[in-house]
Amino acid sequence: MSAIPRSATPEHTRLVRTFQRFTLGQRWEHAILILSALVLALTGLPQKYRAHEISQQILSTPERVQLFQQIHHLAALLLILEVLYHLGNAIALLFQRRLSGDIFPSLSDFRDAWLMLKYLLFLSKEKPAFGKYNFEQKVTYWFLFFGVGIMIATGLVLWFPITATKFLPGGVIPAAKLAHSTEAIVAVAFVLIWHFYHVHVERLNLSIFTGWLTEKDMRNFHALELQMLVPGTPLAENHPQESEPGGAA
Amino acid sequence: MAKFETRMLAAILAVSGAIAFGSAIVSPSPALAQEGVDYCLSCHNDPALQMTLPDGESLSLYASEEMLARSAHGSQGLTCQACHSEITTYPHPEIKFNTRRELSRSYYQACQKCHSTNYDKALDSIHAEMAAAGKLEAPICTDCHGAHEIKALGEPRTHISETCGQCHASVYAEYKASVHGGALSQGNPDVPVCTDCHGVHSIADPRTPQFRVKTPELCAGCHADAELMAKYGLSAEVYDIYQLSWHGVDVSVYKARWPTIWHDSAVCTDCHGIHNIRTTLDPESTVNPARLLATCQKCHPGAGPNWTGAWTGHNSINLVRTPYLFYTKVFYEYFVKLVLWLSIIYVALQIIRSTVDRVRRSLQ
Repeated sequence: MSAIPRSATPEHTRLVRTFQRFTLGQRWEHAILILSALVLALTGLPQKYRAHEISQQILSTPERVQLFQQIHHLAALLLILEVLYHLGNAIALLFQRRLSGDIFPSLSDFRDAWLMLKYLLFLSKEKPAFGKYNFEQKVTYWFLFFGVGIMIATGLVLWFPITATKFLPGGVIPAAKLAHSTEAIVAVAFVLIWHFYHVHVERLNLSIFTGWLTEKDMRNFHALELQMLVPGTPLAENHPQESEPGGAA
Repeated sequence: MAKFETRMLAAILAVSGAIAFGSAIVSPSPALAQEGVDYCLSCHNDPALQMTLPDGESLSLYASEEMLARSAHGSQGLTCQACHSEITTYPHPEIKFNTRRELSRSYYQACQKCHSTNYDKALDSIHAEMAAAGKLEAPICTDCHGAHEIKALGEPRTHISETCGQCHASVYAEYKASVHGGALSQGNPDVPVCTDCHGVHSIADPRTPQFRVKTPELCAGCHADAELMAKYGLSAEVYDIYQLSWHGVDVSVYKARWPTIWHDSAVCTDCHGIHNIRTTLDPESTVNPARLLATCQKCHPGAGPNWTGAWTGHNSINLVRTPYLFYTKVFYEYFVKLVLWLSIIYVALQIIRSTVDRVRRSLQ
C-alpha cells in the first residue's frame, strides 16, 4: 500500500491510496503471455486457414510457410517456459505454505454468479461484493489455464507426432490437430469478448501492467478484499469516504 | 511396332529397290491408272517383295488389298499417294534413307496433312521431347497407329494399353496385375487405360511437379464420381476427405500457388502405388493394413506401429473408425457454442445493465 500525490498544486493535494494487486513477477508473466499468445495466434491463423486467399497471400512461398512454423514453435517454447515457471512458482509457494487461495474457485463464486445474474436481470439493485478475484476473473484464469494446457499438449503432439505415437495411439494425431485449431479459436474469441470487455470496456483496468488499483476501484470491484485490508470500510459503493491514510495492511 | 513400320515402308521401298539396286522384281501393269491403289498393288501385293537399306536392315515392301481394306484409311478410299505423295509413277524416285527409323520419321510427317491437331499435340509430348533429345526410338504416329493397317486404337479398349506396352513393357506388366489392368482384361469398360491418366497425343512427362500436384484431381475424375463408385461399392468421398487432410491441404496450396515447385506431401499414388494399384483388401496392396506402416515410413522414417492409426483412411469422422477424432469433434461442437454463447450473453447483459444505470444516474 502506498500513497501517491495526484496533483502538483499544493493547495489541491489529494492523497489517493493505492493497493497492490499484482506482483512484478505476475506482471511479467502476463506480458510474456500476451506476447507469446499474440505471436502464436498470428502465426497459427494463416496455417489453420491455409486454403484461404488471405492466408495464401501471407504464406506466399513455401519458405514463408516454414518461417511461420518456426516462429510459431519459438513462441510456443516461450509459452511453455512461462507455464513451467508459473506452475513451478505455485508449487514452491505451496511448499512454503505461502500460496494464496484467492484464485481457486469456491462455493461463494456460485452465490456471487447467482447474485450478479439477478443484478443484471434487474432483479436486485446491488452488485454482490467481491474479494480479490471475482468469479468473472476466476473464469478467465481457469478457462485460459486449461485452454493453454490443451494447446501445449496438442501442440507438442503435432510438433513431434512420431515421438507422440511411440506411447499414444495414432488416432490422437488428427484429434490433436482438430483440438489445437478449435481450442485456439475459442480461446481467442473468449479473450476478445470476455476478457477485453472486463478490462477495457467495463472499466480501464491496467493493474496487470501497473501492479496497483486505486481505493475507488477497490471499493467498487473488490469491496470484500478492501474490507479485509482496511477493516471498517463499508461495502456500499455509494458512500465515497475519505479513508485514513495508513490503514491496516 | 516393327510390323506396321515394315508394311508402310514396304510400299515405298519396293520401287526404290528396283531402281537403286537395279533388281526390278515386277513391273506395274500399264493398263492400270497410275494414281490407283490397284496400280501400286500390282507390284506390292507380294509378301516376298523387300529391299536392303544401306545400314543392312531389310525392309519388306509388301502391302495387300486386305491389309488396306482393314485400315481406317483404305475404307475411306484414300489412295497410296495420299501419304506417299512423292511417288507418282513407276519407276519411283530414289529413296535416300539409311535406316528404317530414318525413313519412318520422315514419312510420318505426312499425317499432319489431315490430322494437324493431334499431330501438333504430339509435338508437345514427352515423346517428341525425347526424340528432340536424340532418342529416335521415341514413338511417332505410325508406331502406335500403324501404317497400312491403321485402326481405331480404342477397339477393343485393351488394345490401347497393349500398344503402350510395346515399349513400356515393365509398366504394362505392373498395370496388368493391378486392379485396373485386371478388370480391363476382363472387358470392364470403366477402368482407366494408359491414356486416361497420361493423355493421348500430348502425353506429358509424369515425373514433373506439375503432373504430381494434379494427381489427386486425376484420380478424382473417377473416384469422386458417386454413380461410378457405387457400382463397385467404393466410397466417392475419398477425394473430398483427402482434400481436408494434412496431405491434401498442402497439395491444394501447391497446386494453386506453386505448381512448378516440387512438394513432398503425399498424393494418391504415393500410398496406393501408380501402375500397380490394388484393392486395399489385397495383401500385396501398399495400403493393405499389413503393408501400410512400411508405406508411411517411406516419408515418415522412424514411425512406429501406432502411427498408422493417425491415418483416418479416407473415412469421414465416425465413432468406429476414428473414435478420438469423433469425441474431440463432439466435445468441441458443444464447448464452442457453450463458451461463445455464455460469454456473449453475459457481456451483453452487463452492457445493458451498465447503460441503464448510467442513464438513470444522469437523469437523477
